Amino acid sequence: MKKVAVIDYGLGNITSIMNSLNYLQASSFLTKDYDEIMMADALILPGVGAFKVGMANLEKFGLVQVIKDFVQTGKPFLGICLGMQMLFDESYEFGVTKGLGLIQGQVKELPVNDNSKLPHISWNEISESDLCLWKNTILDTGYKKDVYFVHSFVGIPLNERAILATSRYGDTLFCAAVKFNNVYGTQFHPEKSGKYGLDILNRFINS
Amino acid sequence: MDKLKAYYGLPSEVKFCTRCVISNQRPSSTVEFKNKAGEKKQVIDFDENGVCSACRFHEKKEEGIDWQKREETLWRLCDKFRKNDGSYDVIVPGSGGKDSAYTSHVLKYKYGMNPLTVTWAPHMYTSIGWENFTNWMHEGGLDNILYTPNGKLHRHLTKLAFHNLLHPFQPFIIGQRIIGPAMAARYGVQLVMYGENQAEYGNKVDENNIPTMDTKFFSVDNNMEMNLGGLTIKEILESTDFKIGDFAPYMPMSNTELMAKGVEVHYLGYYLKWDPQECYYYAVENTGFKANTERTEGSYSKYSSIDDKIDPFHYFTTLIKFGIGRATYDAAQEVRNGKILREEAVALVRKFDQEFPKKYFREFLEYIDTTEDEFWTTINKHRSPHLWSKEAGDWKLRHIVTNL
Amino acid sequence: MNKLRLIARLDVKNEHVIKGIHLEGLRKVGDPVELAKKYYEDGVDEIVFMDAVASLYGRNNLFDIISRACEKVFIPITIGGGIRDLNDIELALKSGADKVAINTAAIRNNNLIKEASRIWGSQCIVGSIEAKFKAKGKWEAFVDNGREETGLDAVDWASKLVDLGVGELMVTSIDMEGTKKGFDIELLHKINNSVDVPVIAAGGYGRVNHIIDLYETSKISGVALASILHYSIDTCASIKHELNINDINVRVL
Repeated sequence: MKKVAVIDYGLGNITSIMNSLNYLQASSFLTKDYDEIMMADALILPGVGAFKVGMANLEKFGLVQVIKDFVQTGKPFLGICLGMQMLFDESYEFGVTKGLGLIQGQVKELPVNDNSKLPHISWNEISESDLCLWKNTILDTGYKKDVYFVHSFVGIPLNERAILATSRYGDTLFCAAVKFNNVYGTQFHPEKSGKYGLDILNRFINS
Repeated sequence: MDKLKAYYGLPSEVKFCTRCVISNQRPSSTVEFKNKAGEKKQVIDFDENGVCSACRFHEKKEEGIDWQKREETLWRLCDKFRKNDGSYDVIVPGSGGKDSAYTSHVLKYKYGMNPLTVTWAPHMYTSIGWENFTNWMHEGGLDNILYTPNGKLHRHLTKLAFHNLLHPFQPFIIGQRIIGPAMAARYGVQLVMYGENQAEYGNKVDENNIPTMDTKFFSVDNNMEMNLGGLTIKEILESTDFKIGDFAPYMPMSNTELMAKGVEVHYLGYYLKWDPQECYYYAVENTGFKANTERTEGSYSKYSSIDDKIDPFHYFTTLIKFGIGRATYDAAQEVRNGKILREEAVALVRKFDQEFPKKYFREFLEYIDTTEDEFWTTINKHRSPHLWSKEAGDWKLRHIVTNL
Repeated sequence: MNKLRLIARLDVKNEHVIKGIHLEGLRKVGDPVELAKKYYEDGVDEIVFMDAVASLYGRNNLFDIISRACEKVFIPITIGGGIRDLNDIELALKSGADKVAINTAAIRNNNLIKEASRIWGSQCIVGSIEAKFKAKGKWEAFVDNGREETGLDAVDWASKLVDLGVGELMVTSIDMEGTKKGFDIELLHKINNSVDVPVIAAGGYGRVNHIIDLYETSKISGVALASILHYSIDTCASIKHELNINDINVRVL
């Protein structure tokens, strides 16, 4: 059974993540402890809320280093929603805030030109991009369904090869998932995306 | 300490039912036209376990009655009285509230009767009351006769009833009880069907072993000795300009006459298991009934008794005389019917029971031609010492229901 | 085109889902967790649990139900009814809710929304509005599950809520609620037009046509269904199928 650590830094719908991991029969635990995190087979950074607060909390609990160290080990890492956004260099929400810098690029407000509403709260389709195929990634489930988004900001990777999936909201195409080596990020919430989301999580746990 | 005086011969020790939240001060139904000031009231029974008779009756409703059999009896009753020649065969008194809406509609559309609904007009219709009343006919598909008694006398009687008995609703209750049989006699209809039985709420339980209403509630032998507003008709005639003819609406039929015409007054609640909340749903779905947009003052409900502007004062005077208000009545009924828990009822009573009905206060005062000072003087005269105490100029109830 | 969300609304009292009409009446219709699971499996997009009596009894009961529901239901869950302060919001989110819907408390204390969205982000905060028709083009906002007037204009209040920081609005028409006679299209159109956040329509759904008619006038983000599902009159799957045929994009399982 895979040991999955979920970072506890005060933000994010922890209960949902834990419930879905339990459902998938992973041995999961919530932690801020360096050793526990490093010993895990996979690491998840959840997140719901403001980038600034998220980063401040990570710093407060001394978690920035352990994330970077974990990523160095090559074991799978997944950032969800805000967790994905924090992987980037910086965000422009409420001024400029520095991120973890694990994925080159910035986080900016989702541009909507038509009458689309913000936050983007909806089920939406994700699409594969030619530069980063889904085969052998966590999105390689053999089928595709809608996933659940709730956000106003999006990550914009500098390197297009890091874009694992895109999605469209109104007229705008945006980055829905990223992958850079062993680091994954999903803007959507797999733990809230029904069976398809659970299958994606399952692939992550077993990668 | 001296034992505190208890008005109306009420039990001097105040107790609350251990199952619902009603208190042992709750008066049973009175024969209104014998009602005189200062008389001893019959109250609800409590047994040795502190459970009230309404709760006991409800137990019986749940387990001790074969409702299928009762419904079969209803079918036989309907078969007996049903007229297939197009004329009316049952009188259903009511105002288009949830209970009469249910009763009349189900008799017509399920039991194949041809009801004539009869309404003793509320003192002052609320707009939601009027809307529900007209929808009753237009959407519910029912015929109705609205009988409005001479307002001048009705107001005078209400005023008398308020000041002499602290019971402003009395003239209405009298009218409501006699209109059914009276219309039946007039239209050659023999069956009158009311909704629920008073025993549901705590009259003598034996009264609910029979389907019919005791004739004492709607007939008298000597009209002149009738009490209205605490005075006999004779006394009212002597002290005012009203003529005997003005009292026609309040003259119930004599027992002899009713028997001769074969009029029978039944309760539908004897034949069908009564649930006021289900009546609400039924009325919304079938007769265009709408709950009020706002909560009724003195309670939490939005659909119980919402058609008369005087109604809140009926409950407020009940609070003054017996220490229990509208929320208590509504909540007790919902506890028995399994909608809420006793704890919840306690919270509701404590939150809403003593709320003063200010929305129609001015109109009420005008209606009974009473000043605000006169209103409070009368109110305060009726606060029984065993229920009320005055602390720092404010009246406080000595006993309010609590959790067990 | 954005996908319309179908949301199951479960009004809960103690252990039961109840269903009223005009937000009145406590008729029991089922077990909250079982129904949530059923609707989830049938393809509903979100679940909203409303504590129907929290403001009457001054307490919260739903957190336990939410925790249990979250173990089996992997779609967004919103909880509302009796959310009074930051502590309640925290408890709600901790027990597994993704969003909290707030009505009475927001009206009584505007700061609550401001603070909450600052701490947890506006996407967690749903402004819940109960609106009653007053006069042509005018609706009043009510609180305490449709029991008490506020004197506030519902449409103005909607804008105010967005300024305070809600991420979404759920608008319930008290007049249409439980009647299965259709939505209050005018009300929803007015509000949807005046705010930039997603709006969920609640109250009145009876037939698929009702959604089609509403969507023709106003592209709301979601519709809440209650009576239809609880009384098993229709299922989410079949409603979505109908919507698809009528060119309204929805998520399919």
